[in-house]
Amino acid sequence: MPMFVEDPANFSKSRLKSDLVAHNVKLPPAKSKKEVYVELHMQHIDQKKTVEFSSDEEVEEDEEDDMEGEDGENPGDAEMPDPSALTDDDLKAALLKHGVKAGPIVASTRFLYEKKLRKLLQSDGHHGQLNGAKNGMMYSDSEEEEEEENGEDNDAESSAEEENKETVEESDQADEESSQVQAGSQSVAANVYSSSSSSSSSSSQTFSITEMLKEMEGRRSLSTSANSERAFNGGNVQHHWSQSNRLDMPSVVNRTMKNQSLYYTPKAFPQEREMQEPVKDDFKHLFPAEITPSGIYATRRRPIKGAAGRPIQYMYPDTPVSPMTLQRRDVERRLVPVHIQILVFVTVTCLLYLIYVCVEDNTFSPIVSLLDNLNPGSNSGEALLHKTEAQDTPALSEWE
Amino acid sequence: MSTTSQKHRDFVGEPMGDKSVMALSGIGGILGKKLEEQGFDKAYVVLGQFLLLKKDTEMFTDWLKDVSGANSRQAGSCAQCLKEWCDAFL
Repeated sequence: MPMFVEDPANFSKSRLKSDLVAHNVKLPPAKSKKEVYVELHMQHIDQKKTVEFSSDEEVEEDEEDDMEGEDGENPGDAEMPDPSALTDDDLKAALLKHGVKAGPIVASTRFLYEKKLRKLLQSDGHHGQLNGAKNGMMYSDSEEEEEEENGEDNDAESSAEEENKETVEESDQADEESSQVQAGSQSVAANVYSSSSSSSSSSSQTFSITEMLKEMEGRRSLSTSANSERAFNGGNVQHHWSQSNRLDMPSVVNRTMKNQSLYYTPKAFPQEREMQEPVKDDFKHLFPAEITPSGIYATRRRPIKGAAGRPIQYMYPDTPVSPMTLQRRDVERRLVPVHIQILVFVTVTCLLYLIYVCVEDNTFSPIVSLLDNLNPGSNSGEALLHKTEAQDTPALSEWE
Repeated sequence: MSTTSQKHRDFVGEPMGDKSVMALSGIGGILGKKLEEQGFDKAYVVLGQFLLLKKDTEMFTDWLKDVSGANSRQAGSCAQCLKEWCDAFL
C-alpha cells in the first residue's frame, strides 16, 4: 500500500512545474491555471508512482517486512528508490542524510540534486554490498556486526600492509595488545588515515586523529618521540590534547570517539561511519581531492583573496590590474605619439614650403637664396628677401 | 602560480556589471550563444545560478556541461572564474 502519495492539488504551482520538468513533460503555456498543471502531474507522475509500488509488492517477498518498514516510516529514514518522485523537502532531507547540505531546490537546481542523490544512493549500494548492507545492519543481530567487524579488520589490515611496510609491525603489535574493539576502531582509523597520507608510523595504535596530524607535521624530528607517546592511553593523551592549541575541531571529534570506545562496546559499522565523516571533514582542508567512500569529491578550498587586505593585485604580480591603471594606460597610449605627430607636422610644413617655392619659380635660385637667408648676416638676408619677393610677385603675375 | 588566461584576469579584476556571458572565462562564442538561448544572456544571470548552487564548483560545472554542452575544462574554468570573482567582490 503506497504511503507516499500526496495529493498534487496541495502542491504549489512552481512545485508542479518543476515536477513536470523533471519528468520531461511538456509544460503548458505559462499562464495556465493550476488545474492544468495538476492534471498533467496526475497523468504522468502518479502513474509512475503506482507502477513502482506495485512492482515492489509483487517481486520482493523476502524483504517484504523491510519494505513495509520503509514505507511505513517517515520518508526521511530509508533510502529513496527514485529521487525524481520526491518532493523538494524530501529530496533535501535525503541529501542531508548523506551529509550533503543542499541549497534551494528550484526548477534549475532540482535536476542536479536528483543526480547527486542518485550518485549517493549508488555508492551507498556498493558500500552496503561490500560491508553487509545498511538494512542488514539496522535489522540484524550483533553477531553479524561482529562478522562485519572482523571483515573490516582484515580489509583494513591488508590495505595498511599494502601501503606502508612500517605500519605492519606496529599494527600487529596493536592487535596483540589491545582488545578486539579497539583494534577495529584503530585499524579503521589506520585505513582512513593511511589512505589519505603516505606518512609512516603514527596511524595504527592511536584512535586519536589529532595525534596522527601532529605526527605528520613533526614527522621528521619527532618520529621517535611520537612512538613513545603512542604507548600512553586514555587520560594522558586526552589531557595532552586539551592543552594543544591546534585543530580544535578534531580534538572535539577525538574526545567523542574516545568516549564511545571506552564506555561501551560500539557497533563497529555505525562508529566507522561516524568516524569516517569527521575524519573526512578534518582532512578536507588538508588534502586535496581525496577519494572518499561516499563518492563526494571535494577539492581543497582556495584561500580567500578578497578586497579586505589582500587585493587581487597580489595574485597576479605580472599584471597589476585595476580600472584606474587601465584608463591611464589608454591615455598614455594616445599621449606618446603626440611628439611624433608634432615632428611630422614640422617636417611636412617645411617640405611643403620648399615645394611651393620650387613651383613658384622653376629655377634653383630661390632655394639657394633661401639657404643663404639662413646664414648670419641680416642685411644681406633682408636684401635677398626683398629680391625673392620681387621675383615672386612677377612670378605670381605671370601665373595669373 | 597563475595558469589563468587574460580573459580570466580581466573578469576577476573588476565588478562584472552588465558584461555578457562571453566575458566569462571558458565561455566562447558558441557556448555563449547556447547560454543566451537558455535565457542566460548576462554574466550576472550565470552568477545567479552559481550562487543558487551555493558556490559549489563541482555542481556548477555539472550544470554548465548539461546546459551548454561545455567540456570539463571550459566548465571548470568558468566555475573557477566565478568563484574568484565572488571571493573578491561578494
